Amino acid sequence: MRMINRRDFLKLGAASAAVLAIESQFHPFAYAAERLAEGGRSVNRTSGLPRSFLPSTCTQCPAGCGTIGYVEESRLVKIGGNPKHLSNESALCARGQAGINAVYDPDRLLKPLKRVGQRGRNSWQEISWEQAYKEVAENMNALKTGGAQDFIFLTDDLERDALGRRFTNALGSANAFGASGIYDANKRAGTSLTWGKEGDMPDVANSKYILSFGANPYESGPQFVGFARRLVDGVVKNQAKLVVFDVRLTNTSAKATEVFYVQPGTYALVALAMANVIMQEGLYDGAFIESWTNVSPAQLAQHLAEYTPERAEAETGVSATVIRRIAAEFATTKPATTVTDNMLSAHKNGVQNERAAMLLNIITGNIDRRGGLCLPRQYDLTDPAPVPPIPAPTAATGQSIVAAMTMIKQRKQPVGVLMTHGFNPVYANPDGTSVEETLKDETLIKYHVAITPFITETAAMADIIFPETTYLEDWDIEVRPSLELVPFVALRQPVVPPLDSAKSFFDIALELSSTIGGMQQFFPWKSVDGWLKARISGIDGLMKAGGLDYLKQHGVWYDPKSRPNYGSYQAGGFPTPSGRIEVYSQNLASRNFAPLPVYEPIAAFRTISEEKNEMILTIYDTALQTDYKTGNCMWVDEILHNNPAWINPETAARLGIIEGDAIKIRRTSRSGEAKKSSIETTAFLSEGVHPRVVAMANGVGHTDFGHVAEGEKFEKNGATVTGSEIPKFLQDPNSKLIWWGEKGGIGVNAKDIVPADLDPIGGGEAWGDVVVVLAKS
Amino acid sequence: MFGLVARVFSGRPTEGLLDGIRDSQMLESLSAFDVVFEEDFLETDIDQLVGDLAGEFVRLFIGPGHHIAPYESVYVRSEDEDSPRLWGKATVEVANFYLEAGLELPTGQTPDHLGLELEAMAVLAEAEAVSRETGDLDSAKEIFEMQNEFCRQHLRIWVPKICSEIGNETASSFYRNMALLTASLVEMQCGADSVF
Repeated sequence: MRMINRRDFLKLGAASAAVLAIESQFHPFAYAAERLAEGGRSVNRTSGLPRSFLPSTCTQCPAGCGTIGYVEESRLVKIGGNPKHLSNESALCARGQAGINAVYDPDRLLKPLKRVGQRGRNSWQEISWEQAYKEVAENMNALKTGGAQDFIFLTDDLERDALGRRFTNALGSANAFGASGIYDANKRAGTSLTWGKEGDMPDVANSKYILSFGANPYESGPQFVGFARRLVDGVVKNQAKLVVFDVRLTNTSAKATEVFYVQPGTYALVALAMANVIMQEGLYDGAFIESWTNVSPAQLAQHLAEYTPERAEAETGVSATVIRRIAAEFATTKPATTVTDNMLSAHKNGVQNERAAMLLNIITGNIDRRGGLCLPRQYDLTDPAPVPPIPAPTAATGQSIVAAMTMIKQRKQPVGVLMTHGFNPVYANPDGTSVEETLKDETLIKYHVAITPFITETAAMADIIFPETTYLEDWDIEVRPSLELVPFVALRQPVVPPLDSAKSFFDIALELSSTIGGMQQFFPWKSVDGWLKARISGIDGLMKAGGLDYLKQHGVWYDPKSRPNYGSYQAGGFPTPSGRIEVYSQNLASRNFAPLPVYEPIAAFRTISEEKNEMILTIYDTALQTDYKTGNCMWVDEILHNNPAWINPETAARLGIIEGDAIKIRRTSRSGEAKKSSIETTAFLSEGVHPRVVAMANGVGHTDFGHVAEGEKFEKNGATVTGSEIPKFLQDPNSKLIWWGEKGGIGVNAKDIVPADLDPIGGGEAWGDVVVVLAKS
Repeated sequence: MFGLVARVFSGRPTEGLLDGIRDSQMLESLSAFDVVFEEDFLETDIDQLVGDLAGEFVRLFIGPGHHIAPYESVYVRSEDEDSPRLWGKATVEVANFYLEAGLELPTGQTPDHLGLELEAMAVLAEAEAVSRETGDLDSAKEIFEMQNEFCRQHLRIWVPKICSEIGNETASSFYRNMALLTASLVEMQCGADSVF
């Protein structure tokens, strides 16, 4: 290179500048600070302020993903996924990230409230904690002498609410109810009757053939993000075939290898016809059936013979050819698994549907093997001594929450004190209007204390409300079935301290129990640490690794040497009475139900009339709202705030309905009784829904739950629902920008027209069995 | 000058950029740096050229298939990394350098992209010039040293290598010469004596 002098530089510099001046700015480096460090420190992009962060656990849906909360000047500013967590592996869905909105919902309760005037008027006065405890304790102490079994406790997940169970039992009542009855009770019963454990874990990441009956894991599901990621791994990395049977074009069926629309409620017939093909053509795993089930291949083949592919074609709409082909593929591609959720089991025949789908895995030997349908793995937590004795049952004890509410309404179960913890049955239960009426009636519910951070539709029916912290200011030990099949323990810890005078449920239970005779001995801990340490005391590996301190630092623990122990049943059999998979269930036989998996047509569907334009209502879950839980999170509400009804254009044309029309959906008399018989919404025409189905999203249409959930701007009245000024730390400029109440609509709660109607075996609500008619309104 | 090559390696060329470079005054300035374009660049119709070079840019730096990944961490492997990788140690170091220099990383950009590193040099050179014009010699000196440090610790270590690869990979006289120019600029900057 020849010598370049200063003049050359200046010339080129000037010429370059001229060229770049014509070009628009392409990489404007701004003069501001942003610190990036490999998995490490974090500062605010604009202010440069340092951020601290803490691992915790999300409870916006049942998945229980590991989170990291980023805090700046003691304000939570961001929630991300915890990369160390086995389930979600650093990913976090929109609902999880929008949890910030729950903490800083301007309508949040910060002081105990006492109702003013009649119950249900939603008019309140703030009272002190001392007064609140005193009033509740008076009612409870009165109950204690009169009949503590009339204490009713309602919570979301009874398994996880160990404190709530303990509180209920310590008081002298056996009547703690969880919401399983409206979610997965039928699936739990179906799996439990079959292999002795509630639930399942399809090992989709390692599977080669995945068959979904109505499940929509890419959009929702009990293990949402973590499961979806593994399904993607299975389909992309492992080249698995994903075959979906559904009534609607879901995010999952849109990305499936093959998808078939099925007549609603007939999934089990498809599954049983496939099982029949597998048996007839000798594609079954005879050794597995002989060794690990309580039936013989011959018995099964005989039982299944009536489910011919031709019969299935006539009733399900799926061609016999397809059923034969998919059955053969499923049986010969190893490993394979089915994926199911509430769309399969939330029917009156839900338990049998679940058992029919499980049967496919059983007869092909795809049980608890790599890539097959595996038993769930989860640590058991200690119920620390002294454990209160389980009191004597009453009429409603052990029933599903739906049946319990009906019994209360029919005065079969008296209620002295009702305590609702977070759960919102007025919104979440079927026939919510009836639930609301029941809760409003002081002759049915003598006293109602609601423990919740927000005035939900249910809390609005309370006599007193304890302002609970949100899940992000609270503690708990969190265990879930492990997607990696290696059990783990996670911690939920406050990422920000409780706001104002809100209290955690632990503090409430502890303080309240100290004011009620005979309860204190069951709550001997001075602080929540004592309770949490006791809960994990039975997990040796974790205790060796540092116990609670380890969890506080990392958020999650699992044995690093542990690997999935496929074939776990081989060591001691299945946890059923026979030690085998009970394809033939003695339990069912003794209760006069069909002991072998069968297809039981849904009565209301049998007589469905095409001339009368009768259709089946499907209420589906989305990626953005978790039933009653997330309605006050504005980030997700802005995306999903209403629920037009999906209607097939062919059906719409017949009814003279066009896109955007206001329509009325009315339940027909054949579908049981519910207070409300019709709902109104708008029409959304799509080829992506079965012509006999009208589909609506769940999680919108709140009638209470504050401004955000109801789509109202705050500037309308400048105060919270309790009438007090919004404190500075809850003020959020975005809350003035809520537009969807005026422009998009806040949707309607479709569950309101669904009757309380259960699968008699599992006790789970039959959400999917409602026959409706549509009309322009 | 860094601004020009930064633009060239940051994305597909635009008509304005190519016209500007084909300007006679620019060509003369470039010739001092041994930049000699050939017919494929000088004679082709501008619309055609924009398309051709956009295609060549994509083929060279984006793919699909065999291509050059224009990121420092791919060329500079730290001792505790098993293999070169995107967003590695070097990337973090570069990001931290930007932070210390007061440069905010544009959203969605990988800090150690060739174009972005060159752009950082351009921005710092301009900041140095501004400081000098306003008589703030302390700042000017500080910024000059920042450039030297960045050049020594980053650009000099990998830019000559990737430039020679680009030269070998491409049949386009535009990219070959721009790679050559970039390597020369880096070499000169790193060898520059303090004027303070």
